[in-house]
Amino acid sequence: MNTKRILLTCCLLGLGAAHSEAVPPAKVAFEGGRIIPVVGEEIAKGTLLIEHGKITAVGKKVEIPYDAMVIDVSGKVLFPGMISPHTWRGLDRPNENLPVAPYLDVYDAIDPSSLSFEDALRDGVLAVHVIQGNNCVIGGVSRVVRPIGRTPDEMTIKPSIALKLSTSPKTGSERMSQMAAMREAFLELAYYLENLAEARYEAELKKENKEVDVHPEEARTRGRELIRDEDLDDKHRNLVKLKDGRVDAWIYCGAATDVAPAIETAKRNGFLEHTVLVLGTEAYRAVKELRAVGRPVVLPEVLVHQERDPITGELNETFIPKVIHDAGLLYALQPNPSSSLAERFLTYQAARCVRHGIPRRAALKAITLNPAKILGIDDQLGSLEVGKTGNVVILSGDPLDFNTWVEKAYIDGILAYDRAKDERLKVLLGLKKRQREKEKQEKDKQEEEEKKETGEQEEKKEEEPSKKKSTQSPSGENR
Amino acid sequence: MTINSTKRRLFSIVFALVPWVSASWVGAGEVGHLAFRVGKVITMDNKNLVLNNAVVLVSGGEIEKVGLARDIAIPEGYTLIDKPEHWLVPGLVEAHNHAAGSMGDLHDYVYLTNPGLRTLAALAPESENAKRGRAGGVTTALMISGSGNNLSGFGTLTKLAGKNVDEMLIRSPGCVKISQAGNPERYWYGVGRSFMYYNLRQTLEKALAYHRMWERYEKGETTKKPEFDLFWHDFREVFDREIISLIHTQWYQVVMSSVDMLAKKLKMRIVLGHSTFEAYKTAPLVIEQGDIYTSNGPRQIYFDRRQRKIMGNAARWWQGGVRKLGVNTDSPVVPQEELSFQAAMACHYGWRPYEALRGITRIPAETLTLENRVGSIEEGKDADLGLWTGDPIDPRCACELTVIDGRIVYDASVRREF
Repeated sequence: MNTKRILLTCCLLGLGAAHSEAVPPAKVAFEGGRIIPVVGEEIAKGTLLIEHGKITAVGKKVEIPYDAMVIDVSGKVLFPGMISPHTWRGLDRPNENLPVAPYLDVYDAIDPSSLSFEDALRDGVLAVHVIQGNNCVIGGVSRVVRPIGRTPDEMTIKPSIALKLSTSPKTGSERMSQMAAMREAFLELAYYLENLAEARYEAELKKENKEVDVHPEEARTRGRELIRDEDLDDKHRNLVKLKDGRVDAWIYCGAATDVAPAIETAKRNGFLEHTVLVLGTEAYRAVKELRAVGRPVVLPEVLVHQERDPITGELNETFIPKVIHDAGLLYALQPNPSSSLAERFLTYQAARCVRHGIPRRAALKAITLNPAKILGIDDQLGSLEVGKTGNVVILSGDPLDFNTWVEKAYIDGILAYDRAKDERLKVLLGLKKRQREKEKQEKDKQEEEEKKETGEQEEKKEEEPSKKKSTQSPSGENR
Repeated sequence: MTINSTKRRLFSIVFALVPWVSASWVGAGEVGHLAFRVGKVITMDNKNLVLNNAVVLVSGGEIEKVGLARDIAIPEGYTLIDKPEHWLVPGLVEAHNHAAGSMGDLHDYVYLTNPGLRTLAALAPESENAKRGRAGGVTTALMISGSGNNLSGFGTLTKLAGKNVDEMLIRSPGCVKISQAGNPERYWYGVGRSFMYYNLRQTLEKALAYHRMWERYEKGETTKKPEFDLFWHDFREVFDREIISLIHTQWYQVVMSSVDMLAKKLKMRIVLGHSTFEAYKTAPLVIEQGDIYTSNGPRQIYFDRRQRKIMGNAARWWQGGVRKLGVNTDSPVVPQEELSFQAAMACHYGWRPYEALRGITRIPAETLTLENRVGSIEEGKDADLGLWTGDPIDPRCACELTVIDGRIVYDASVRREF
């Protein structure tokens, strides 16, 4: 045992020496910061302990193990890693040119080198739900990833979260053909399953050297339970999982008129209990229908719906989250990276909710715990609670304060982002340029001073001989 | 056969009668006895041996003897090529060529993946491109179909000389050509990576199932002989790892997927066929896999907008620890004869000259699984040689004489091409 341990230590030391890099510590304690756990009360000055990637203690007074690395975060704010609930960014394109393609998986197209993941880290978003875009009838399956890693496998937090569906017409189609394609997909699935069930029943009887002795309809009923996962082909596998509740449906409703067909589709095919509605700007108007089914919703990137009265020309604005909040629905906010405004920050989206009368606590949940719940990962993420994954953002101030920066981000208790080392941010903010200018100024100043000094010295040098002369001459005279 | 041997005899007589013409006879195509006495021989053997003032004897299309001039006497009957200031290097090997054929048959767009197609059908003997190639010292090439679809068929391993296809041919199929992404996107109304990768995996899994079916039969696990299927049969060698899979792949995500899907999961013997842009960042993944060869080209540089820096691709791959590294021309994208310039470019942007020379001889030979025949000057190997006025990596140097299978196929003293 001892020799083994020594060997291991030697190996580790050797490794450390070769790379001169410290191994990420297994235990990290953040001491002296203000903790916003999202669940439970805020702690004005407390400690958060992460051991082996999991949060093991949060509180005012926490006993820190001797082998934990202690990080002083006094004056800073600890906040759970935020969650981007719905984005196609990180893929090569939002959708394929195929109306019904439930066999696709974002796994194939996730690009770990995409800048959108780096931006997510920079903005304190430590889990990203990558899902195909809205331009489809049925798209592929999605997954939740960490915004860091060399491959999608390394990044994955949870695969096969949901299938993307849309009741809003895909480019080139109208609502009639959109819904016809949707109906066709599920009718074809039913037809496929009937045939498969019959074949399975027949195959099982054949094992016992028996032949089908019942009406085909009865054979189909009996065979339905005999269908195993390996019997299903790629085209139908995910749709069957959807009906079984093993994969969720995220249905995009671009407008209010698309909400009822979405609910209808989910109800008819038996997956309403596993449905999340992704709302377009105008879809909030179907709030009655939404409240009636009580399913979670993902809010549009643009939070304000503007509408001009066609007769009076008067402009009416509706703040969408408030309508949804008042309806008592579970909702998540999306960032809007394509906006040149601050909408790209989830914290800004939450701050605007507060401005429009949503309680602070609810607004903070809409960027952390709510998306975790909607994605079914709230046992791991979404709040700073004992037992959850150590995904923590260290903020320079209150999350809803516009002057606040993400200072550091820890994923699984390992440092994943450090603003002090964010070279690109420095370039973006012109800090590098400013630094260079400052250095140049200092250099010029120094050179000038040196010049002055050397100039003075030269003058002195020039003076010196005359002095010598003057001193010499009298002495000479003296001689 | 008899006609051939009569011809040969006739040629020998001609040679015997006019010996002074022999060295400058281009296209005579006779396998003779050649003796090179040169200033330097870069052998590119396992020990990286470099011989100064050395002799290389060639007979019967093979390299007979390699050694120092003081140790080897030139036997009688050998045509002496005495160039005390020249370098003798192995014939250059091109791992990515589209131009050894008719040029009109780059690929057939039947489906997005096209098993069953072979570039052998388009191979053209004594094409202008082959001639240009050997004037640049290139003697062996892998001729592959284009990258317009995800799987464009099977490539051909060929020498760049021969009167007919049989004479040129080394092996067909010599590889399967797969395009991971970056061109097949234009198929149909446009396809993305999620569909392309899914579809490619489907095709390969079907091919693998066919291969497994035959394997079971051959191992005696079943007595039922599978039906022969021309469409899938060429894939048997792919999954046996007998032939390589040449992958058109570049950028981080795409190379990452090639390594993961094809090498790691489907256990294919892959070659990264372009590996350009910021693909060198996948070096740790490539090294982890261990057996992957990287053939970089035609682009030798990449402008990294994030860092605002010009990156030399080969140098960056090398820096990342990748050692199974060569360069290619993607001929005709870069003309075949400029393979040595590709290596020079790689060096201009930070690679090492000796490694670059190895990257157009020994390494591509290993890449193409031909290291037992070409890519180095060793006794018993094919007599594929280039006589250069100096270091081939130095762009001021030219190839003076090219030999393929013991035949002089280019001689600058008769007609200088470049």
